[in-house]
Amino acid sequence: MRRRPMRWLAVLVLSAGCATAADRPSLPRWTSRAVPEARGDVRVEPDGRRVAVRYPGWTTRDFARFRTYAYDDTRPEPPVQRATMPAGVTGDPERGRALFLDRVKGPCTGCHLVPGDDVWPAGSVGPDLSTLADRKLADAYLYQQLWDPRVTFPKTVMPPWGAQGVFTPEEIVHLVAYLQTLRGPVVAEKDPDRNPFTRRKPVGFGDNLDPTNNPAVLRAESAETTWGRRGPTGKSCADCHAGGTEKSMRGVATRYPKYVEAYRRVMSIEDFLTVHGPETTGAPLLIESAANVDLAMLIKMASDGMPVVIDTTSAPARAALARGEATFHRRVGERNHACVDCHTPDRGAGKFLGGRLLGDATAGLTRHLPTWRTSLNDAWDMRKRFQWCMTPLGANMLAADSIEYAELELYLTQFDNGKPLNVPGIRH
Amino acid sequence: MSDIGKVRLRVPASIKAGDVIRVRCLVIHPMERIERDKAGKIIDKKYQYIDTVTVTYLGKTIATFDTTQSVSENPFFAFAVKATDPGKLTVSFHDTHGQKYEGSVDIAFS
Repeated sequence: MRRRPMRWLAVLVLSAGCATAADRPSLPRWTSRAVPEARGDVRVEPDGRRVAVRYPGWTTRDFARFRTYAYDDTRPEPPVQRATMPAGVTGDPERGRALFLDRVKGPCTGCHLVPGDDVWPAGSVGPDLSTLADRKLADAYLYQQLWDPRVTFPKTVMPPWGAQGVFTPEEIVHLVAYLQTLRGPVVAEKDPDRNPFTRRKPVGFGDNLDPTNNPAVLRAESAETTWGRRGPTGKSCADCHAGGTEKSMRGVATRYPKYVEAYRRVMSIEDFLTVHGPETTGAPLLIESAANVDLAMLIKMASDGMPVVIDTTSAPARAALARGEATFHRRVGERNHACVDCHTPDRGAGKFLGGRLLGDATAGLTRHLPTWRTSLNDAWDMRKRFQWCMTPLGANMLAADSIEYAELELYLTQFDNGKPLNVPGIRH
Repeated sequence: MSDIGKVRLRVPASIKAGDVIRVRCLVIHPMERIERDKAGKIIDKKYQYIDTVTVTYLGKTIATFDTTQSVSENPFFAFAVKATDPGKLTVSFHDTHGQKYEGSVDIAFS
């Protein structure tokens, strides 16, 4: 991992009185073997601007101010802030509504339903606010609720918008003014899908293992060329693993991610390829390169239908699993969200975040990855999915092959134990 | 792609007599596109692409499609057929290099 002096300074300032160094694991320093856009690097421009290096089309905003999943990031969760409404600002409900819907800010509609045909797509993670004003809550209470709801609800999944600087005090006054206009009666929906509480759930994309239906199957089969190609050392995968992937790799993927003694870390198939490829054939297999994803799919397809059997009985694996679980519960980023907030059934899972139905991690959502993404025309592995999930939270992503991600993946995969592997999946 | 010419043919799992079924087929093929040299001139060569697709059902040709280079690599075709009798349905792809790739499926009623 690259050291970033700026961040270390911030860590020093913020770490006073927080977690001790004792719960920081002694793990090997891992040099990322990822394609450049998947390393979580931040580039400093000649004018001093910090630009995050991410995939094409992703935001380049640097979120260094906010907590990440990195084990060496010891900053605590942002402290709970009490706030009082600024005097001398008159709330404008119209501006408040525009802010409520602003996709660059919240958007608040990602979690809350409000009236209006232009509210699309509203989510159902938070309560329906269509008649909030009928509850006659005080302006000051709503202001605090938007500034930092943890004052009233310590376990809320709602971000502390004011405390984290997403909305200014003046903007929150406008939002409160808008919320105080939301009165019943509720008008009947013209389109039942507008309301996330009555919206139809997605039904999927048919047989994911049918090559005429899932383009990822063809992508995986094209990796047979990689499998048979001799690298700089004159050897190919097929030279050592005889009988094709179907025979030689059968059952292998069911045991990953696992703790690999040789590298003293947890590795998924994708991680392992990044080191095993260069060491044997001499050819690089950088994580998040098409060659890596496709080959990982081909290897996993050899175990399709076989139950996942990851083993976490060894001491290092148990420690890794515990760290992965802690990561799942760790709140990060500008939004101060944890995986657990959106992906467990008693919180966000099964509800809509905007138009997206949130998956349930405890039901197991790793056994179809890498998966074909119909909306992006590309195959994504678990790590890119992690990075995609974490960027909108306002947290700088880590390298795709980081130990942190591997251990989080280990924690998520144990929910799939005993369930059949089904790669490649097909999803929106 | 390693196995050029591999054909996949899919019909619904359960078919009743008289059903109009959707047949889906896919062939692994490079479908070479027109290439140009540095000056922008079209390179004159015999490009390899599928130019004819024939569908045979119960021994009779029921459809012929003429295709061009504008069809993508590893082309996918889907069409509707009325399943009148049980029997063999064959889709064959012919390319400009004289190669023929074929896939067939047995239509059985359940």
